[in-house]
Amino acid sequence: MEFKTQTRTGQILTVMNILAWVAFIGFAIEAGAILFSYFFSVMSAEGARNIYKGVDLYNLRQYSFWHYTGTVSFMVAFPIMKSYISYLMITVLSKINLASPFKMETAIRLEKISIQLFGMWLVGMLNSAHMTWLMKATGELYGNYVSSESIFMAGLVFIVSQVFKRGVEIQAENDLTV
Amino acid sequence: MPITVNLDVMMAKRKMSLNELSEKVDLTLANLSILKTGKAKAIRFSTLESICKALDCQPGDLLEYSKE
Repeated sequence: MEFKTQTRTGQILTVMNILAWVAFIGFAIEAGAILFSYFFSVMSAEGARNIYKGVDLYNLRQYSFWHYTGTVSFMVAFPIMKSYISYLMITVLSKINLASPFKMETAIRLEKISIQLFGMWLVGMLNSAHMTWLMKATGELYGNYVSSESIFMAGLVFIVSQVFKRGVEIQAENDLTV
Repeated sequence: MPITVNLDVMMAKRKMSLNELSEKVDLTLANLSILKTGKAKAIRFSTLESICKALDCQPGDLLEYSKE
């Protein structure tokens, strides 16, 4: 029974590892596409008409190049941070050993994920503030990012990482029980 | 740690090697080594019982408490 459970958990984690790879590649492509469009739009303003998936920032580009750059920076920051989180997930999942899963490096990676999620929340708040300011200044809304779930997730993952650290201690104690 | 494991002392008294003890108590050499070098965090009653049986001694002969 225990063997079966371990096999099932192993299968689930393998699927999660594949999904993490898909997410990592997807977010990396998204970030790359936005950056490519941005560099194209630096040379020609027409490039700002379709930054990514039909997002039109042409009017903003004409209004102020620096605000346009700021908006694109926020747009690209999210997929970069998400791809880094996916990368951390890949490193956690690829090195996991179900016989002794509680390792300090995994706990540290979980903590890093929670810090990244917190960072995403901060970037989201800055983006929202910038968007609000831009809307007042130009009367146009250039997208909005609601990031309240990021802080919730950050807290959740941080708690899991702390519980995981206790698991590391218990496993070490168990390993040194004769 | 204020608890000292005197396994080596008892083994010397009984003139028993680590390999011999390992076979008698059905413990791996690695685990016996952890116990002998004082790295162990805990010891099961079953392990203590089998070591006491193999070395013909009391738990108090194997474990010693000293104030740090």
